[in-house]
Amino acid sequence: MSKKVLVVDDDPDVRSFVVTVLEENQYTPLVAVDGVEGLEMIEKEKPDLVILDVLMPRGSGIRLYRHLKTDDTLKTIPVIMFTGIALRSFLKSQKALEEFKGEKVPEPDIYLEKPVEPQELVDAIRKKI
Amino acid sequence: MKIRKLLFVTKFESLCYDALHSLLDLRKSGLEHVVFLNVIEREKVAMRRGKGYEKDEEVRLKETANIRFIDWAENLFEMGMEVGAYIEVSSLIPEILQVVEKEKPDLIVIGRSQKGKIEQLYSRSDITELTRRSPVPILVFKHMAENKLVPAKIFERPLFATSWSNSSEKAVACLRELAQVIGDMHIMHVVDEKDLKTADAHKVQQVRKKERKRLDDLCGEFEEKGISARPHVYVGDPETEILKAAREYQASMIILGFSDRTALMERWMGSISRNIADKSPYPCLLFPVKK
Repeated sequence: MSKKVLVVDDDPDVRSFVVTVLEENQYTPLVAVDGVEGLEMIEKEKPDLVILDVLMPRGSGIRLYRHLKTDDTLKTIPVIMFTGIALRSFLKSQKALEEFKGEKVPEPDIYLEKPVEPQELVDAIRKKI
Repeated sequence: MKIRKLLFVTKFESLCYDALHSLLDLRKSGLEHVVFLNVIEREKVAMRRGKGYEKDEEVRLKETANIRFIDWAENLFEMGMEVGAYIEVSSLIPEILQVVEKEKPDLIVIGRSQKGKIEQLYSRSDITELTRRSPVPILVFKHMAENKLVPAKIFERPLFATSWSNSSEKAVACLRELAQVIGDMHIMHVVDEKDLKTADAHKVQQVRKKERKRLDDLCGEFEEKGISARPHVYVGDPETEILKAAREYQASMIILGFSDRTALMERWMGSISRNIADKSPYPCLLFPVKK
């Protein structure tokens, strides 16, 4: 059975790009358009991998990522961050939230800054599943 | 009522990151989430004879907005804040209301109305339209570069003009939660001249005394919350007197409840809040009547 990969991104063009790459490489794509829908899909479908944007309506990828990594039932799901937000800013945000909330979460498995070539995305996915 | 989440509506021309930055003091009072909204007006990409729908233009405008939002969002994320963004081809007010429904913000921040005078006469200003239909308070931001009156911290010296209406009560409920942000607040009530048309000086003084007592009590409520507040009674045309007080006390912002006047009356006769929000140089925080 092919592995399930969830794409959480509010941009329909990005979702379409990732879904095409996934289908061409025999993965089963699932899609969600924002952080709230993303969490619902993760809890319902338990995907093998999540490809996660950061800047989205109704709950950012940062909030969803922290939720995943602090939830005992979900924290083993690998996450590829796929975003226009620079890694440096992402890491700073994690540091600020760590100080504020007092909980440390691991860095993302892979961080890809948009845009990427299809092969770069495939290589990243293959590293994790 | 705390301001935890704000919706920042920008066309980039009149409302930019410096405006948002000046509101970040609200973090001391619980602000943790900013949602950006850029509405690309339909006519910018509309069907045109010989051209059709300008998809390329839509992509260009959306990507331009996205680049700005990413830059702003990085700054806010680095502070540990939560950020979201919408870039939509739509009509401004319906789109704002849709996002309000989805995101449930506690405050909408918007620049002054971009509509011309004649257009406003027939279709109302964006601000009026929004205040009529929004259940959420609206901060009409005026850009710093337009005048020298607006300091960087707009909550530093607000002038709260109360009409003792339902919407003014909402303003009180919200302002009481902003003790860590508000510097010195001035609270005023304007007594309409027609209420003082009497030759009896005693009666005039009675009116003043009564209003002053109400303002004193209100100031007392704020002081209990740790907000320094000073009462002022003015007499005359409310719009003129509010602007006069704003100048006299070098207000950093004017806070008003929106009037209960019907939409039709307001369109033809104007409204104090709308006029001040649209025309004065001061940022205005408006509290709507709608629940």
